[in-house]
Amino acid sequence: MIEALISGLLQVLAWPAFGFLLFGAAVGFMVGILPGLGGLATLALMLPFAYKIQEPISAFCFLLGMHAITGTTGDITSILFGIPGEGTAAATIMDGYPMTKKGEAGRAMGAALMSSLVAGLEGALILALSIPIMRPLVLFFGSPELFMLAILGITFIASLSGSSLAKGLLAGGIGLMLAAIGVDPQTGTLRYTMGTLYLWDGLSLGPVVVGLFAIPEIVDLAVRGTSIAEAKIDKIQGVMEGVKDTFRHFWLTMRCGMIGIFVGALPGLGGGVSQWMAYGHAVQSSKDPTRFGKGAVEGVLGPGAANNAKEGGNLIPTVAFGIPGSSAMAILLGAFLIVGLNPGPEMLTKHLDITFAMVWILVIANVITAGVCFLFLNQLVKITFVRGSLLIPFLLMFVFLGSFAAHNNFSDIVVTLLFGLLGYFMILFEWPRPPFVLGLVLGRIAENYLWISTDAYGASWLIHPTIIVIFFITVATIGYSALKRSRREEGAVSYKEG
Amino acid sequence: MKRKLVCIVLSLPLLLFLVWGTWTTPKVWAQEKPFYKGKTVRIIVCCTPGGFYDRWARLFARYLGRYIPGNPDFIVQNMPGAGSLIATNYVYKVAKPDGLTIVMPLGQIYLDQFIGTKQVRFDIRKFHWIGTQEKSHMVLYMRADAPYKTVEDILKAKERPKCGSSGTASAGHIVPKVLEEGLGAKFKIVSGYPGGSEIDVAVERGEVICRGMTIPPHFGREPFITWHKRGFDRHIIQTGRKRDSRAPDTPTIYELMDQYKTPEVNRRIVSVLTGSGELGRPFAVAPGVPPDRVRILRAAYAKALKDPQLLAEAKKGKMDVDPTPGKEVQALVNRVMNQPPEVVERVKKIMGR
Repeated sequence: MIEALISGLLQVLAWPAFGFLLFGAAVGFMVGILPGLGGLATLALMLPFAYKIQEPISAFCFLLGMHAITGTTGDITSILFGIPGEGTAAATIMDGYPMTKKGEAGRAMGAALMSSLVAGLEGALILALSIPIMRPLVLFFGSPELFMLAILGITFIASLSGSSLAKGLLAGGIGLMLAAIGVDPQTGTLRYTMGTLYLWDGLSLGPVVVGLFAIPEIVDLAVRGTSIAEAKIDKIQGVMEGVKDTFRHFWLTMRCGMIGIFVGALPGLGGGVSQWMAYGHAVQSSKDPTRFGKGAVEGVLGPGAANNAKEGGNLIPTVAFGIPGSSAMAILLGAFLIVGLNPGPEMLTKHLDITFAMVWILVIANVITAGVCFLFLNQLVKITFVRGSLLIPFLLMFVFLGSFAAHNNFSDIVVTLLFGLLGYFMILFEWPRPPFVLGLVLGRIAENYLWISTDAYGASWLIHPTIIVIFFITVATIGYSALKRSRREEGAVSYKEG
Repeated sequence: MKRKLVCIVLSLPLLLFLVWGTWTTPKVWAQEKPFYKGKTVRIIVCCTPGGFYDRWARLFARYLGRYIPGNPDFIVQNMPGAGSLIATNYVYKVAKPDGLTIVMPLGQIYLDQFIGTKQVRFDIRKFHWIGTQEKSHMVLYMRADAPYKTVEDILKAKERPKCGSSGTASAGHIVPKVLEEGLGAKFKIVSGYPGGSEIDVAVERGEVICRGMTIPPHFGREPFITWHKRGFDRHIIQTGRKRDSRAPDTPTIYELMDQYKTPEVNRRIVSVLTGSGELGRPFAVAPGVPPDRVRILRAAYAKALKDPQLLAEAKKGKMDVDPTPGKEVQALVNRVMNQPPEVVERVKKIMGR
């Protein structure tokens, strides 16, 4: 095994593989920053190169290197402009953008990049360590377990509700309800599609999240008439501050990384879930949850870590079963075949060196991105001090191109505008937006896996031991956050009295 | 001010030249210049990037231009959603029928028209079909340790076997329904999995024990390659009219229907449900496209499918090649769609409408 580990590293560092890695990184960086071309579409576009490259390690250097980077760079636009690079990378906005407004863009970016790097390495490490136990691990989580995990995720609504629990619950409920839109997989019934074809597949997360978060901020920017950053703070120091923050909250970063890996490794939960669960966890585990949404650096560290770590997690089912953990992995699966590999058990025996090479590619690509980003960071941060009226046209272009890329459909833009309006009013009347997104992300998953569990096991799944364990974790989470909430309120009262 | 003037003076002749060019081109050169010269052809794909539909479209996009007089450029545009209704409606109704837009719908697109889905804006029989490069017949696989070894066992069983499905339009739903309609077998369809891969994991775990899926991936990739080595699964039926060379011992539904003397109506229902297997992943252009351009596209498609480089790439990507020319696809579509009302009603019910 050690031999394969070293051989994998040497193969990645050998020429021309390393050149392909650098080239892939460059392409990934461009695509990640520019709107309109998602990481997925780029991966599909670049797939034919695998025919020409032939050699497996070089091909993976190019494709996987590119893919690993698009995830990280998506955080950059989220933090600087409040526009998520991809629908799944939206949780970083919650605290990243408020930090930018406070003039702390450098710190937020430093934190996002460093936590991405640390968690990316963690993901790679876990991937390497879990190689012997991959199969039982994935098989352990059946549909009832996935359902309970979704329920556990939904309980995070409580801690994401901010000042008003009632508003948070309602927003989460509306999110759950909107998740019901689309063709019902059990009977084929069309639910709330209002005669349009666009809604058959349900609301897609990208346009909704872009509208909900980016549009109100752009309106706000126009109304304020200033630059995005309201205060000036020394920039270079800021980036280093963010790096230090990662290590100040090292265990939070590691825990959120674990969430990313775990969710990524389970086929069937999808990419949107891990970031929001990590954000929810960051809020929940904080001593002072009221700081979140106003520029708390932990709110950047959590999602940043989860987003990158999930790549390592996604590779687990891809390698062990030949079953893709995400849509990007499904495309990579095509690349496996083209270069003459059969993803599956062979990857753990005959081609173990290639599996480790993939781990190394993730590691090296993350280091390269972080390095390049740190080089350009100060220039990027300067944009946030440009007058808002000059930026707004470009930001709007970012927003609409980005959401249009979801389906190449005009309705994507309509959805963005509608949810932009909703987001604006939610801010105006102080309704929290994260519970809404959480409901939307988890609603479908919870519903489907409840159906499957009941269809497949009757009522007996309710007494599976793992279900009972997750159930108690869920109850404990709710109890803990209720306790903390009441203590905080008491604390606030006594403070007033004092 | 002076510079502005110079600019205008310089650009005027250029503008005139351009106007003259566009004015005279169609009249003077239309005869000599092939239509497709300097043009760009779009392939509108039903599905998201990276899947087999998308990969076939991108493969053809790199080869078709070589075989069309004038060597046009090709681009692929993904227009996913609503079981390819969005893409198909777009090409039928919105895009100009000039032969520069090709659609690649899902193989089972005819089912939506068949059951009278309101949002269908096309008549599938009026498309000019360019052809399909493959068949996508289906197979029902079953865990080998389950007590159902043949169709006979399922017919006799007291407890219905549980098969996984991702929705009423998926092979996971259709294949068990084919057995129910054709032979009277009974299944418990567990639906709601996000996709086929998740069902395969569920089968490994034992949550469900069977799944209907298309044949090429079942014999082309993991986890199935390992399954077949271990003898983990068994193949109950296949939906083609002939047995697939990779599953020579698995009976076809048509053989079994002969054996069980299935009535005509049920046979027709089965032929509608399994028609997508013959259609594979087809290409088509809108009805208004001039016949000579349809001919050019069909000829180019047939030639591209003989290109050794294309075939080599397809083989490497585990993409099966078993073509049906456009004219035959046309006949196939007409045959499948032409059914008595009772068949239509029954299929509607199966599809949940």
